[in-house]
Amino acid sequence: MKEMIRTEEVYYEYMSQNEGESGIQAVKGISLSIKQGSFVVVLGRNGSGKSTLARLFNGLLVPEKGTVIVDGISTGDREMIWEVRKTLGLVFQNPDNQIVATTVEEDVAFGPENLGMPPEEIREAVDKSLRMVNMEGYGDYAPHMLSGGQKQRIAIAGILAMNPKCIVLDEATSMLDPVGRREVMSVLKSLNRDNGITIVLITHHMDEAAEADYVLVMESGRIMLRGTPREIFENVEDLRRAGLDVPQVTALAYRLKRTGIRIGQLPVTMDEMIGLMKKLLKDSRTQLNSVARAPSGILKTAGNSQRKGSPQGNPIIKVQNLCHTYMPGTSFERKALRDISLTINAGDRFGIIGQTGSGKTTLVQHLNGILKPDSGTLEVDGLKAEGKELKELRRKVGLIFQYPEHQLFEETVYKDITFGLSRMKLNEDEIKKRVFHAISLLGISPELLDKSPFELSGGQKRRVAIAGVLVMEPRVLVLDEPTAGLDPQGSAEVFKILANLNEKEGTTIIIISHNMEEVAAFCNRVAVMSDGSIVMCDTTENIFRREEELKKYGLDIPQVTRLFRELQIPGHSSPTILTIDEAVDFIAGLLNIPAGGGAL
Amino acid sequence: MIGNITLGQYIPGNSILHRLDPRTKILWTMILMVVTFLIDSWLEYVMMGSLVLLLIIVSGIPVRQTLKGLKPLLFILAFTAILNIFLTGGTPLVTIGPVRITYEGVMSAVKLFLRLVMLVITASLMTLTTTPMTMTDGIERLLRPLGKIGVPSHEIAMMMSIALRFIPTLMEETERIMKAQASRGADFDTGSIFSRIKSFIPVLVPLFVSAFKRADELAEAMESRCYHGGKGRTRLRTIHFTYLDGTVTIAGLLYLALLFGIRLIR
Repeated sequence: MKEMIRTEEVYYEYMSQNEGESGIQAVKGISLSIKQGSFVVVLGRNGSGKSTLARLFNGLLVPEKGTVIVDGISTGDREMIWEVRKTLGLVFQNPDNQIVATTVEEDVAFGPENLGMPPEEIREAVDKSLRMVNMEGYGDYAPHMLSGGQKQRIAIAGILAMNPKCIVLDEATSMLDPVGRREVMSVLKSLNRDNGITIVLITHHMDEAAEADYVLVMESGRIMLRGTPREIFENVEDLRRAGLDVPQVTALAYRLKRTGIRIGQLPVTMDEMIGLMKKLLKDSRTQLNSVARAPSGILKTAGNSQRKGSPQGNPIIKVQNLCHTYMPGTSFERKALRDISLTINAGDRFGIIGQTGSGKTTLVQHLNGILKPDSGTLEVDGLKAEGKELKELRRKVGLIFQYPEHQLFEETVYKDITFGLSRMKLNEDEIKKRVFHAISLLGISPELLDKSPFELSGGQKRRVAIAGVLVMEPRVLVLDEPTAGLDPQGSAEVFKILANLNEKEGTTIIIISHNMEEVAAFCNRVAVMSDGSIVMCDTTENIFRREEELKKYGLDIPQVTRLFRELQIPGHSSPTILTIDEAVDFIAGLLNIPAGGGAL
Repeated sequence: MIGNITLGQYIPGNSILHRLDPRTKILWTMILMVVTFLIDSWLEYVMMGSLVLLLIIVSGIPVRQTLKGLKPLLFILAFTAILNIFLTGGTPLVTIGPVRITYEGVMSAVKLFLRLVMLVITASLMTLTTTPMTMTDGIERLLRPLGKIGVPSHEIAMMMSIALRFIPTLMEETERIMKAQASRGADFDTGSIFSRIKSFIPVLVPLFVSAFKRADELAEAMESRCYHGGKGRTRLRTIHFTYLDGTVTIAGLLYLALLFGIRLIR
C-alpha cells in the first residue's frame, strides 16, 4: 500500500523565551510511516510531543533535522506547502478556536475559498462535506449555538471541503463530552471506511485507541511503542509508566493473569473479555465441580470501602424545590432547573452526572450562591445564600470551575493562592500556614510559590487553582469536571488528592463528571440529571445497577460493570461491580482462588 | 446566559431592502444620514419622514423592532431636546423665574429629536436587513479601490468578521471568569468606583491571556486551511449589483433632486 506520511529522524526544538537558556526538545528523532487508508492512533500524556508531531505533519512546523514527507511531498518544500495542507488537514483541540466564520456554511467554505475554487464548486463541496459529517441543515447556524461535538464535526467538514487524503486530529475529542466524542468517532470511522481517508487521531482516551488499526505511543518526544492495539495493550506496565492506561477489561484481565490464572493474550474489547470470562468460568466449574462455592461475603471486600464517604452522615446541604430560568421573558428563555430537591450529607463523595445541558453546572453554581434561585430554598450548614450569610456560605462551599487554570492572573503563584484569603482579614502567619498546608495536600512544591503561574505546566496550574480555593478551608468542595483535559495519570492524581481531603479533613466532595469509571470508583452517592431535573438519586451501586434507565438519559455504565451484566453468571443475580478491584475480588471468589488482597 | 445573543440584529426576510447589494445599502445609508442633517424646513422634515416610513414598510420588519434601536438612546435624545428648549433664545412662551422657554427653543428641540430618530432608524434598517457577513463583504468591496493608497481592505474585512465571530465566545468567557473569581472571593458589586475598577483586574488578565491564546490557535487553524491573505481568494457567496440596485439608486437620486429642488425654487 502507498505511504501517506513518512518521517525520517525528525527533531524539533522550541526556542526558549529567555536568552541563553536551552529550548525544549519536543520531538527527538522520530521515524515513522503511516499507510494510506489506515486509522492510526497516537497516544501519549500531556507534554509528550504529540501536538508538535501533528504540526510537523502539515508543515506548520518544519523539522530542524530530518524530513517529513506527505503523499510524496516534503513539508520543507515551501513552494508546495499549500499542496501539503490541502492533502493533510489538521483538526485542533479547542472547537471554538478553529471556527473562523460567523455561520457554519461560511466556515466550511473557508478552505475552498482560500484555494480559489469557483463559487459553484465551493457550494457543492460545502454541501457534500456537511452531509459527510451528518450536519446537513445546519448551514445557517452561528457556531456558538452548537455543541462541542457539532463544532468539531464542522471543523472536520471544513477540512473535507478541501478534498483531503488524510485528516490529523490533535486531541480533537479531549474537550468533548461522551456523546460528542461518540459523534466524532463515528464520523471518523465512516470517513476512513467509506471514503478511504487516512485518519491520524491523537488522544489520551484508551478506548479510542482500541479501535485503531495501528497505535503509536509517545513518551518525551520519542516513540516508545508501536503496533496493533492488541500488541500495545500487552505492555500494561510500560503504558502505566508513561502515564497512560489500558481499557478496563484489559486491566482486569491483566490483574487476573498476575494472580496466576491462565489468560493467554490480553483481551482488548468487551467481546473478547466476555469470551475469555465464559471460558474461565466453564473451566472452573468442571474443575471445581463439587467444591463448595466461595461464601458470598467475599463480594464485600476492600474494594468497596474505598468508595465509602466518612460516616458523619448529618445533612450539610439542603436544597428544596429549587428552580432557575435563564433570560426569563425573552425569546431565549430556558428553564435550566426545575424543582430540584436534594440533600447531601457531610463527608459524602457526591457525584452529579448527566448529559451536557442537563443543568449540572447551573445546579452547583447555586450551591455557593453565585446564581440565585428564582424560587425554592438552599441551606448549607444552617446558612442561607442571602444577605450577610452569603459571604460565609461562599467560604464554606468552595466551587472549582471547569478548567480552573484559566482563571489564574496574579504575578506569583503565592499571590494567586491567597487572592481569596486576602479578603478575609487574617494575619500574615495564618495566611502562610494555610498556604503551606494547601500546597502540601496538593503536592505543589514550595519553590513554585515565587514563580509566575503562567510558567507552570497544565497539571501544576490546575493544582494551584484548586489550592486557591482550599486555603479558604471550605467544608464542601464542589468541582465541575475536575479531570477534563488531563491524561490518565493526571486524572488519577487529582482523585488521590480528593480522596485524601475527604478522609483526612472530612471535606464533603461534590463532583460533576462525564467519566462513569471515575464516578463509580470515587463516589458513594450519585444524582442523575436530565433536562433540568434530578431523575435519579441513590447510592452508586443502585445507580449503576439501572443500566436501561441511564441509557435513556444518554449515560453509560463503566466497562467492568457492563461486563458482569452481560456475563449473566448462573447462581448470582447480576452483581453490581463498579471497579476493577471489586471485579478481581468477585472473580477470585467464583474461581475459589484467594484474592490475595493488596498483592493483586 | 449571554451566549444566546444572536449576532448583529439581522432579521431574515426577502424584502427589497434585504435583496439590495450591501454596497448600495451602505452608501445610501450614509447619504441619507448626511441629508438628515441638511434638512431644515418643515416640508423637508415631512418628506424625509415619509421616506423613512416608506422604508420601514418596504423592509417588512415589525415597527417595534426598528424602534428598538432608540431605546438605549432615549436618555441622550431627551437630554439634548431639553437642553435645546431652555438654551435657545427668541420669543418667550413661558417664563418661570430665571427659566425661559421660547418658541424657537421648542421648535428646535422637536426638530433635533426628529432628526436623531430618523438617523437611528435609517441606520438600524441597514443592520436589520443585512447579515454581518454580507456587511463585511460590502465594506471590503467598497474599500478595495483604496487599496492603491495602501488601505488593506481584505484584512479589515477579515478582522471585522473574526471580531463578530468571537464576540459571543468572549462574552461567555467573561461571564464564566467573573463567576469563578466571585467564587474565590472577588467582589464586583460593592466599594468605591476605584476599587470596583480594580476588582476587574482578576477578570481582565485571564480574559486577555485567553484571547491571545485563541488568536494564536486561530491563526494556526487558518494557516492549516491554506489561508494566505486575500490574493487569489474566491467567495462562496459573491455580491452583485442587480437591476434592483440601479432602480433604487435612480429612485433615490430623483428623490434627492426633488427635496433640494424645492428648496432652490423657494
